[in-house]
Amino acid sequence: MAHPQTKSAAAITLQELYPSSPFYKEAASIRVTGMLRGYSVETGIGVIEDGNKSLRIGTQHLKDLSLRVGSVYQFIGELHIEPNHEAILQARTGRNVDGIDMNLYRKTIGLLRQFLEAGNKKNVVNLD
Amino acid sequence: MDRPLQDTHAKLVARDIHRLTQSPTEANSFSLGCGALFSRVETVGTIVSRDMTPKFLKFEVDDGTGCVTCVLWLNQLTSSYFSRRDPSTILLLSSTARKQAAAVRIGAVARVRGRVGSYRGAMQITVTVVVVERDPNAEILHWLECVRLGRSCYRIQS
Repeated sequence: MAHPQTKSAAAITLQELYPSSPFYKEAASIRVTGMLRGYSVETGIGVIEDGNKSLRIGTQHLKDLSLRVGSVYQFIGELHIEPNHEAILQARTGRNVDGIDMNLYRKTIGLLRQFLEAGNKKNVVNLD
Repeated sequence: MDRPLQDTHAKLVARDIHRLTQSPTEANSFSLGCGALFSRVETVGTIVSRDMTPKFLKFEVDDGTGCVTCVLWLNQLTSSYFSRRDPSTILLLSSTARKQAAAVRIGAVARVRGRVGSYRGAMQITVTVVVVERDPNAEILHWLECVRLGRSCYRIQS
């Protein structure tokens, strides 16, 4: 019997989070990276941004992470789409990634996806 | 002809670790159907779960392509498996494993090396070394290595 495993969070950029995107779904597990633009201690909600895109992050479940506005963070969690169609990521992990090369990160995500898709196609061919 | 890679830690993404199947000819070796055989792997990802028991630490690493279960044994002082070894070596192994276990915390990015195997139908890694990465670009560079090696060395897509 297989062990139940935690759902893997796909690495995406904030530019890919728009209503018709395949990642923009209730309970989608995603990994996002961006600069912390603001944070409310009262609500535990922060806002990260990358370029002209931003996303709200619920940090209530993160115990040991100190947040500093202006630093770059990476969060893993589940997306929640609110009735007003605004998205918020309920983070289950977070880490400071000050010094990350965002251009390399974006390009690498694209390369990794191409690699995974090619592997998936090959697997289908083998099964046929 | 199969290309033996059993003596190196192959850099594989989690998606490919879960695709490994037991080699029909080599014990403790696994194949991706591409000719190469693997028994040791290296993965880099975010620690997303942690379950400590008296005998071992079980944790999951998410590299964005899948989650891999990793088991770090902590029973060096009581297991008969180590009984033939020098006592000072056993103490060192035990101390090292416990230090590594203490560094494994949810949210950190870890580089894990170990033996790959199947347990109850799922692939997992029996950890030899786990280190927490401080370089914010470590995971990106690992992805790039996995893609390069997957294409040119392991021939995952050829």
